[in-house]
Amino acid sequence: MNPILADIYSTVVPSMPFIIGAYVLVWAALLVYVIIVVRGLKKTEAQMAALEESVRAIRNDRPSNPL
Amino acid sequence: MGRPSTFRQYRTLLAKDLRQEFRTREMLMSMGIYALLVIIVYGAALALTANGLDIMHMGGGLLWVLIVFTSLLGLGRSFAHEKEQGCMEGVLLAPLDRSVIFLAKATSNMLFMFLVEVIAVPLFYFFFMSGQPVAPTFAAIVAPLLVGTIGMAGIGTMLSTITMNTRSKDVMLAVLFIPLIYPLLSACVTATTAAIAGAELWTDLFVMPLVLACGYDVVMLLVCWVLYDFVVSA
Amino acid sequence: MKKGMVKVPEAGQWPDKLAIPALATGAVLTTAGFLAAFLLVAPVNGAELESPELVGDVMVTHQQLLSQKIFYFHMPVAIVSFVLLAFGAYYGVRFLTTREARFDTCSRVAMELTLLFVVFTMITGDLWTRFEWGVWWTWDPRLTTYLILMLIVIAYFVMRNAVDDPELRATYASVVSVIAFVDVPICFMVTRLIPSSVHPVVTREGGMSPDMALAVMLVMAGMMLVAFGLYRLRFRQARLAERLQALKDQLDD
Repeated sequence: MNPILADIYSTVVPSMPFIIGAYVLVWAALLVYVIIVVRGLKKTEAQMAALEESVRAIRNDRPSNPL
Repeated sequence: MGRPSTFRQYRTLLAKDLRQEFRTREMLMSMGIYALLVIIVYGAALALTANGLDIMHMGGGLLWVLIVFTSLLGLGRSFAHEKEQGCMEGVLLAPLDRSVIFLAKATSNMLFMFLVEVIAVPLFYFFFMSGQPVAPTFAAIVAPLLVGTIGMAGIGTMLSTITMNTRSKDVMLAVLFIPLIYPLLSACVTATTAAIAGAELWTDLFVMPLVLACGYDVVMLLVCWVLYDFVVSA
Repeated sequence: MKKGMVKVPEAGQWPDKLAIPALATGAVLTTAGFLAAFLLVAPVNGAELESPELVGDVMVTHQQLLSQKIFYFHMPVAIVSFVLLAFGAYYGVRFLTTREARFDTCSRVAMELTLLFVVFTMITGDLWTRFEWGVWWTWDPRLTTYLILMLIVIAYFVMRNAVDDPELRATYASVVSVIAFVDVPICFMVTRLIPSSVHPVVTREGGMSPDMALAVMLVMAGMMLVAFGLYRLRFRQARLAERLQALKDQLDD
């Protein structure tokens, strides 16, 4: 390879890992955040289900018409 | 007879803090001893380099590290006895403007910090700088010390009121205090170093940071002064 | 003002209908910006070559700074992080003036997204720094003020965890969010105030060419939409958790 071409590539080729790294890591961080949000949502829904269950249990314990 | 003027309220609150402190000397003693201990740690840390070290360029930074950590100790204590003795409730019950409480508390913290600096700076000079020729501009370090201490006392008073009611309050104070004073600290270190080194054109490195530090002081003190009402009444 | 008079934000209203379309449009726009940055915009010239060289059918006279492609995401996410922090501080002020817990929830979600976008900025900026300057970190004024912005946002969440009483927590958090916002103009202006800063500034580098500006604008619009969509989704989840907690408390009584 002639030296001029090598000079051109000297700033392009070594920078590739850093450019790819920057974009990949940003997407990874976004993904982590989305996973955290979805897990929070799942947890809240599970708690909601548990709450419904306990409400139903309380209903069944009591006579259907308290009056 | 009307309500006492705002200035009288301020003076009464300030006098209360000062009287309490000079009766026990608890805070000044602990801050002073802490400052001395930090200097001793510096002595150990710099033991092997002290002779060839360019202390004139490091001195400003080391001095400010000393001031920041000593202030942190004092600020953490400044509301401790207010809370332990239920003094804050009493003050809050009085028909006072809340910002007066902030100003009084910030002033007393500032005075304690100044007192410690009056002892610590000569000690620092005595231990580390006495072998070097003194630059003629050395006295100018008073300006960054003044500006920095005012800002740190204001921000610190606000933050110690917040952290008073948090768990692990000492760590919380440091976590909030150090990032928030950083712009001030960095400007003051630059100005102090410029004054200590006193090279040619030292004013270039002295005036601009000092102006920026003053600006930060004004903005932060105004924000804290406005927000203090919410913090202390919560 | 009476408490009932204040109009508080609630999940499930019309902005929520826009959340998913906003996220989708944001994904399309950022992808378009990404493609534009690499395919449309010519690389920025670096040092001049000893003699021009023909690569393909283009005459190259300068070194090509490919690492500058990071800028097309770096600046937009930094601006979005400032905007999000402004929203966090705005809702903080709304909480302090109205004492309505809902605004604290808004402020918290906005601060959370601020932290996310600050992390984006740090990642992109740091990898560029590592390649262009050869170090992972340097105490440049812009980098330092942005680092302390990140530390204040982290401190905000550490502080929230350290207070038990909800009312007190909301008050302190709002105050900290307002104080954190003071750092934004400083961070923005510091490269102008301290000329020794080595951080590149667009105006100092001679402005942007129209195609560069187009790529930046595409990414900026896309990131704003992504931030909005994520904000609505997170807010909805936070509201659901709050309503659930309120129901549980009622049931316990």
